[in-house]
Amino acid sequence: MASINLYMFTFSIVVISLIVNLAISLYGVLVKLNIVKKIISLTILGDSANTFAILVGYRATYPVSPPVQVNVPPSPSDVLHLTELSVDPLPQALVLTAIVIGLAINVFLIFLAIQTYRLYGTLNMREIAGIKGGQHE
Amino acid sequence: MLLRRLITVSVLTAFIVLTSYTITVLNVLGELPPRSLRPLAFWFLNTSFTPWLNYFSAMAPETVTAILWDYRGLDTLFETAVFYFAIIASIALFRGIEEKHGGGYVGLSKIVRVVSRVLIPVNIVVAASIAIHGTITPGGGFQAGSAMAVAPLILIIVFSRFFLKEKGLSKNLLIALRGAGLVGVGVASILALALGLLSGGYAFIFQNQPKEAAPIGLPPDVLGFPAGTLLIFNLFEFIAVFAGFTIIFILLSIPEDVAREALHGKH
Repeated sequence: MASINLYMFTFSIVVISLIVNLAISLYGVLVKLNIVKKIISLTILGDSANTFAILVGYRATYPVSPPVQVNVPPSPSDVLHLTELSVDPLPQALVLTAIVIGLAINVFLIFLAIQTYRLYGTLNMREIAGIKGGQHE
Repeated sequence: MLLRRLITVSVLTAFIVLTSYTITVLNVLGELPPRSLRPLAFWFLNTSFTPWLNYFSAMAPETVTAILWDYRGLDTLFETAVFYFAIIASIALFRGIEEKHGGGYVGLSKIVRVVSRVLIPVNIVVAASIAIHGTITPGGGFQAGSAMAVAPLILIIVFSRFFLKEKGLSKNLLIALRGAGLVGVGVASILALALGLLSGGYAFIFQNQPKEAAPIGLPPDVLGFPAGTLLIFNLFEFIAVFAGFTIIFILLSIPEDVAREALHGKH
């Protein structure tokens, strides 16, 4: 019982640290003025959300296994054994999709940021807002 | 200013405390981590590789790959299309910025070049094995493409940014490869449908194995190696992701003064 409580306690600490991570990244996205800092915060936000999704798909059993059938071809008992031990495969598949889409967005944002810097000479949102037609007001 | 900081800190602290409380104490997302599988996960694990349930099975030992390219194949097709359009948009942003080789050697020292020559074939073999083994071990097209893209990145850094172009791996060829990868994924998704139309039977898009109403499917294994459409998808995604990343690295390796000159003119 004590070991389960310790397990749950450790798991709660991981969950809380991920929420702290989410809060810090939200702060970065909403409050920071530099576009690069916003992009870094956005990547932390995405990675924290993905880690959280993987964590939701984890399973409180021991031993626990990845969702891969190791006996090829399997027997019905092998499949039953896998369902008894395996973690949830769906969050892993969704996270893989989310990683690729997040990467695509980040790539485009980074290229936009580079081009913005080349055109305006700054990545500060306030300074960019004060520039009209490539000239400071 | 101080008040603003105080409000920000209070809001963030409240967010952390309330979210932590609702998730860990009130269990709004259910028991975390769950002791038993959710019904959907049970279904996926029970059908991803069960030869005796051939009308339900994806015939892939790796359940995540089975979900990605069989159960939720359309999702993955659109995902790879999003990546494709992001790259096309990035190329459009950087249009007109080209660099001519000024002559002379611009790479790193001989020691680094020799080590890279040894490591790059290893990198390619590992990436190919991740792609081909995607149906039986954790991995797949995206992971393999990402691993493979390390090779051009090393080549750009060690041998110079002109090296890939000199060896024939130009940006235009890579764009064509990226497009071919996406087209390959698209064609593989309608392969069973085309077979169905040709044979006069029924089939669906993204059909991998035969179904009760559509008994047409790709061979579940090739020489004992799990295959189906999943292997084809993984191979095309591998090419597409490799080409996509290489385009990004080539664009990012353009020096700042060259880009500024193209944007603002020489003066």
